Amino acid sequence: MNLTHLDELEAIELQDGFVWRPVRRHFGIRAFGVNAYTPGASRQVVEEHTEQQLGHEEIYLVLRGRVRFTIGDDEHELGAGQLVFVRDPSLRRAAVALGDDAAVLAVGGKPGEAHEVSAWEYTFAAAPHLRAGRYDEAREVLCEGLEAKPGSAPLLYDLACVEALAGKSDTALELLNQSVGADERFREYAQTDEDFASIRDDPRFPR
Amino acid sequence: MSGGYTILSLDEVETASHRGSNLIPVRHTLGFRPAGVNAWRADAGGQLIPPHEEDSGNEELYVVVRGRATFTVGKETAEASAGTFVFVPPEVFRTAVAEEDGTIVFAVGGTVGEAFNAGGWDSFALADTYRQAGRLDDGRAIMRQLIAERPDYWATSYNAGCFEALAGNPDAAFEHLRRAKELAPDEESAQYFREDSDLDPLRDDPRFQELLG
Repeated sequence: MNLTHLDELEAIELQDGFVWRPVRRHFGIRAFGVNAYTPGASRQVVEEHTEQQLGHEEIYLVLRGRVRFTIGDDEHELGAGQLVFVRDPSLRRAAVALGDDAAVLAVGGKPGEAHEVSAWEYTFAAAPHLRAGRYDEAREVLCEGLEAKPGSAPLLYDLACVEALAGKSDTALELLNQSVGADERFREYAQTDEDFASIRDDPRFPR
Repeated sequence: MSGGYTILSLDEVETASHRGSNLIPVRHTLGFRPAGVNAWRADAGGQLIPPHEEDSGNEELYVVVRGRATFTVGKETAEASAGTFVFVPPEVFRTAVAEEDGTIVFAVGGTVGEAFNAGGWDSFALADTYRQAGRLDDGRAIMRQLIAERPDYWATSYNAGCFEALAGNPDAAFEHLRRAKELAPDEESAQYFREDSDLDPLRDDPRFQELLG
């Protein structure tokens, strides 16, 4: 039986101090988005964000502990068995745990469309490798993402970061330019991104 | 409900009975559209998830929110405490029984590569629960809403026909069933018309033979 306890799932601590439990990735689920979050160095369990870009409707279900949600300008303290359904993708949402044992399950997708794995899942999965300087592992995860989502601007950008840090300047510049070509916003991000310090003076760097 | 979001306590949702289980009709209550989401509640020894298989392509993830449950998936049996996820691929038999009072299992399902389209079985379960409690108007309101949302889906009209047949309104039942027959004149629906015990109250009516044609 394909069964796993929340605490046995991989715990990937992200920069904001919250811990991503990659439920969808663990089980290889493709029909819908599903992930869990637990507190890490910070009490954050849902990072502050909107779903505007993806157009997702999201449910956040408290699996255990108590959690304070901020939805738009409203605050709600919820316990295990309570959920908030954020219908409006443009609503800003975030949540902090009120104890160490809290856990939140997030379920989401875009109404009327077959589910596509979000690029950020690969970015999150690669993040700890990148921080620890394990460039081969980070590259592997991001290439897996690009295989699933060919031409994805954020994944091309992330891979460019990896190659720049790994000292592969030519590859990094090529990937970065592909990323900017796919989505202009990455031109702006690149200007201040420390990961590109080694290639910023190259004439091929996108200005 | 307020500006673009809804707070819900699984404990406070009115349950529906469905194949011997207590369904917490989360999707119906919220109007969530990207996937099938529901929950099941049972006390120790009670059936949580009705024994069933999902159609081809339909992946399902269960998570124990509270209490403890024994899952059977295929031929395997395992105990699952709160916080345990159980993933079941399509076409595999599954059921679960509660081991503690107040056990709740949350379920998410969808079909790989397809936009989720609610069949409305969960809404129908709630409508039928209302019908059995004598709350015909509440049940009928749900059936009307389902038809308004998907006017061309045969099963919605069919279920509305079942609802009215069981509620003792043959005229309304035949109206819905004729519409269902128009929308799905195939073998799949024909089998339902032939075998569904919900339609037993209509079988002696001459209009039923006419309907089967």
